[in-house]
Amino acid sequence: MRSLIAIMAGIAILSINHTAYARPMSYPDGWAAMIMNDGDSNSINLQYSPSALYSVGVTGEYQRADKIKLHVMQINVLAKRWNNPNSQGNFYIESGVGITDKNDHIHPAAFTGITTDWEDRRLLISYRNRLAVGQDTGEDFIQWGRVGIAPYIGDYGDLHTWMMIEVRHSPENQNPVTVTPLIRLFKDTNMIEAGISSHGKVMFNMMKQF
Amino acid sequence: MKKFILTLLFILTLFPSLSFAAGQSATIHVSGLVCDFCARAVEKVFGKEESIQTVKVDLDAKIIVLSFKDKQNMDDLKITDLITKAGYKVVSIAREKDTK
Repeated sequence: MRSLIAIMAGIAILSINHTAYARPMSYPDGWAAMIMNDGDSNSINLQYSPSALYSVGVTGEYQRADKIKLHVMQINVLAKRWNNPNSQGNFYIESGVGITDKNDHIHPAAFTGITTDWEDRRLLISYRNRLAVGQDTGEDFIQWGRVGIAPYIGDYGDLHTWMMIEVRHSPENQNPVTVTPLIRLFKDTNMIEAGISSHGKVMFNMMKQF
Repeated sequence: MKKFILTLLFILTLFPSLSFAAGQSATIHVSGLVCDFCARAVEKVFGKEESIQTVKVDLDAKIIVLSFKDKQNMDDLKITDLITKAGYKVVSIAREKDTK
């Protein structure tokens, strides 16, 4: 049972990891590649957006503590966008299926969740949640939120900087709340994020859109 | 001679396309443009169009400026459709002649 919960938690973390740090899709006919590293896992994600309304992707991740390999196929749908004169809001639905591999034992897994965000050129707020379900009876829920502020507003093509705080709530975990202050830098279609969590773990993420 | 110049100017006035070598441009005011990724999406969508010479995005003014190749253009319906497909909302479209 514990291993199942660990697998489900891993899947949930995976699904958060590969999308939490940016919008879960690229521009129409665009690709996005992401590499994520934190205190628990290393993962890589590749996704393709046929239109502005949805994207499909694959992710591989290694959970170091439990030595679990995760392989997931995912679809992200932009259910609603609010285009305001000086800001933008979005509501996404994300779902995926995949497998876990631990000691050469393969198990199916699936997850679903929502993401909503609002941003202008100075502020950013987002909320995301995930319900992950495994082959047997286990399930795991995680929710996550971010607030960010840009200390300056750059022009298109400049180096952009965001100071952010991420809060992750994993009700099943012994330490259910993790707070991570981080800095996000992006220029053109390249993004880097780095931070240290309240548990002393390093977060480092990179994304490239093309 | 004076008569000839006046006649020439009159003809050019009647047929403005003869007096400008370069194409037209359109300035589109758009809602939802908040980041470089948004700008990149717009550039990518219009960059695929044969009639487009350049695409310039101004995030401060929330405008997109399209320059068209010589003797080419794009109607408002098509512009609106492309911006909508990129995920944004057209507020207004203004046309102007590029005299450069």
